[in-house]
Amino acid sequence: MPELRKDPILGRWIIISKERGKRPTDFIVEPSNTKGGFCPLCPGNEKTTPAEVLRYGSQTHAANSPGWNLRVVPNKYPALVIEGNVDKAGEGLYDKMNGIGAHEVIIETPNHEEVFTHLPLDRMVQVFFAFRDRLIDLAHDPRFRYVMVFKNFGRIAGASLEHSHSQLVALPILPRMIVSELEGSLTYYRYKERCIFCDIINQEHRDKVRIVCENERFIAICPFAPRSPFEMWILPTQHSSSYISMDNRSFELLAAIFSEALRRLDACIPNAPYNFVLHTSPLRSEPLEHFHWHFEIVPKLTQIAGFEWGSGFYINPVPPEEAAKYMREAVLK
Amino acid sequence: MNTILLVDDEDSIHLLYREELEEEGYTVHSAFTGLEALTKLGQIQADLVILDINMPGMNGLEALRRIKEINPALPVILCSAYQEFKQDLSSWASDEYLVKSANLDELKAAVKRLLPL
Repeated sequence: MPELRKDPILGRWIIISKERGKRPTDFIVEPSNTKGGFCPLCPGNEKTTPAEVLRYGSQTHAANSPGWNLRVVPNKYPALVIEGNVDKAGEGLYDKMNGIGAHEVIIETPNHEEVFTHLPLDRMVQVFFAFRDRLIDLAHDPRFRYVMVFKNFGRIAGASLEHSHSQLVALPILPRMIVSELEGSLTYYRYKERCIFCDIINQEHRDKVRIVCENERFIAICPFAPRSPFEMWILPTQHSSSYISMDNRSFELLAAIFSEALRRLDACIPNAPYNFVLHTSPLRSEPLEHFHWHFEIVPKLTQIAGFEWGSGFYINPVPPEEAAKYMREAVLK
Repeated sequence: MNTILLVDDEDSIHLLYREELEEEGYTVHSAFTGLEALTKLGQIQADLVILDINMPGMNGLEALRRIKEINPALPVILCSAYQEFKQDLSSWASDEYLVKSANLDELKAAVKRLLPL
């Protein structure tokens, strides 16, 4: 019989459809298809991008020239614009404001063929440092309240270029998902005086069935009520509401567990398209006792259709306990 | 005199753009598909390409990748009826991205920026 499960933070219901139970090999993933041709993100083509706002790599090379390991550049054709004020207005009952925001692209590697999942750890950690450095910088702009950091991998997940990159969008408002998480976790905290994410980590340690991997500071789990098969969350095991408050050792361990979790997913479903999103406290927020920063990795293996749109229920054909087991037992290359 | 290759699958766009650009003193060549554009670029000495995106067969973004692979210095203006292709990072290989309009002032200004006399 199918099972309805409720996400304890958001109150979102999902359907675990055990009858449709799928093994990793049942998912058909489009092979990675390198298009070739000119790539605006490759070294030597720096002039095709806006001027970089962050660069890691050789100090002997000029800005916006080769010699970098990682670059961050503003979006050349942004959906939101950086100049202007956040002017709010109403039209009857409808609210609107100027489309102010920052949209940046983190070019994670100079090597066109390199895939994030298989980046060496010393390079992957730079990506996480870049997220932190841009969050710190954008927090100085009082117009912005939140920075959404995310990655699309694979065409189905929205990646339009194969050159490995992630993105961030600084917003003058808090995204609905973050508001819901903040509210859901605060409700729990008021009732139990504990962080719900810390309680989830404790329960996962007790149950031991949804843990994918773990190291001395982080844990990767398949959440109890996942929207997607093989969905994973990566959380720091010590309570912390803000991504930017981590020390350097934690960044190394974050890269280590991220790499392992993605390689385990890749071992089960090669080239699985996915999105990951950083969930952290709003910019300039005081430390929050009730909120716990984390990453959510959501593979794009099923289609969102009418029922999901209409009901808000997701149908997931792989119980997270099975997904975690497959990934725990995967043989890493 | 500068030469422009205009790539679009709609005849009406060719009629309108050609007239206005020729009035500005440019020589205009036409191509109606991405593949035809690549062939034409092997035959003529274009100084700039105006490239539609939504075309049958090879679309404008694929044509852009190939054009810039052959000649990264050749300026290309993407000119589409749709904004949403801006979200495709392949579009970054272009020098300008314009949304089609009956008023060609913006297009002519972009051409002048990229082809200074």
